[in-house]
Amino acid sequence: MQANLNRYSRQILFSEIGEQGQRKLRDSKVVLAGCGALGTVIANSLVRAGIGELKIIDRDFVELNNLQRQILFDEEDVKRNIPKAIAAVEKLKKINSQVKLEAVVADVNFTNVEALVEGAKLLVDGTDNFEVRFLLNDACVKADIPWIYGSCVGSYGLTMNIIPGKTPCFRCLFETAPLPGMAPTCDTAGVINPIVNIIAAIETAEAIKYLTGKFEALNKDLITIDIWEGSFEKFNIADRRDKFDCPCCKQRKFEFLEAKQGSSITSLCGRNAVQITQKSIGRVDFQELAERLKKSGEVTFNKYLLKFSIDQYEISLFPDSRAIIKGTNDFSVARGLYAKYIGT
Amino acid sequence: MTTSIKIPAPLRKLTGNQAVVETEAETLIDLISDLDKKYPGIKERIYDGKEIRRFINVFVNGEDVRFKDGIKTKITKGSEVSIVPAIAGG
Repeated sequence: MQANLNRYSRQILFSEIGEQGQRKLRDSKVVLAGCGALGTVIANSLVRAGIGELKIIDRDFVELNNLQRQILFDEEDVKRNIPKAIAAVEKLKKINSQVKLEAVVADVNFTNVEALVEGAKLLVDGTDNFEVRFLLNDACVKADIPWIYGSCVGSYGLTMNIIPGKTPCFRCLFETAPLPGMAPTCDTAGVINPIVNIIAAIETAEAIKYLTGKFEALNKDLITIDIWEGSFEKFNIADRRDKFDCPCCKQRKFEFLEAKQGSSITSLCGRNAVQITQKSIGRVDFQELAERLKKSGEVTFNKYLLKFSIDQYEISLFPDSRAIIKGTNDFSVARGLYAKYIGT
Repeated sequence: MTTSIKIPAPLRKLTGNQAVVETEAETLIDLISDLDKKYPGIKERIYDGKEIRRFINVFVNGEDVRFKDGIKTKITKGSEVSIVPAIAGG
């Protein structure tokens, strides 16, 4: 065994990987989109497992309420107020200096997503909203890059593998995002760290299988887990690929890349505010959303407008899901707030 | 005859935290309407007026209803009905 593979001896002893598998890992470039709860656990495991290169993309900064589940960050990172991608790379360098690491502090959108995923052997999902997943799905299907979807909220999580041309894609399963405000997010419904760890563990295992060429061992189902009640279910979704005329993977219409779907964002000059408009119009149920938001900040609403204050920001939401976010001119901050509290 | 439906955690707020609910419905659409009588609001979350919402997947005995008879899919005694909503957190 080569000297630089010694550190992986226990993994190499695992017969499904072996020295050959370890070399394949070392020759792999992975892109991790999102470095929050799922992302930090996945990055930690993949870097320890010895992948060759990891690009970490994230738009957020480390906050105190992240530390309960985001395992690469500590109180020092909160005090320094540094971007998550940078803080993660700092930690990961100490864990495994053999891995080439790249931090990208950016908001993934239709203008940059294709460049961000280019050259990846695999993309792993640690993001926190639907829009970015539709963008990643479009970009990965178009460029024939496999990706692993994972997500969780509360004690509940989902994961599936998307291998373009072989499995259904994300849009085959979820053709549209839920209406704004309809789906719980970690910032409105909370999340406990065991579900994060188990979903991230499955995503990592699938990544290792793929990168070591053990395609026959890959999960082909949609997996759902509720760690609080101890349930683990697998649903056969193979039919989707044959029977569904998917706009993305069958018709190859990349509507999110072309910005025909998703949101548009504009700065409201001189007002320290940003407007986000959703292209697929859905009516927002203010009553239900207010109920959810009142645990996180101050919320008031009438027939025409819902106002929600959190920290130094104020979100004004209209029934057609358009929002004005006051307190920032930064698009990625505004998108982050929309994804966290309104959810899309 | 009754069938048990497992309600996934993200929708449980609507069922007063009930994880499993019983129904005597014989088709999926009747099942959804029956659920809505007991737990108003749940129908709108799952069904768009014509079909199952496109961000929700429903499986009856592990089979995707979209490729069975959609909302008219038969529910027989002892069927296992699973609702899988898209979720975004991470």
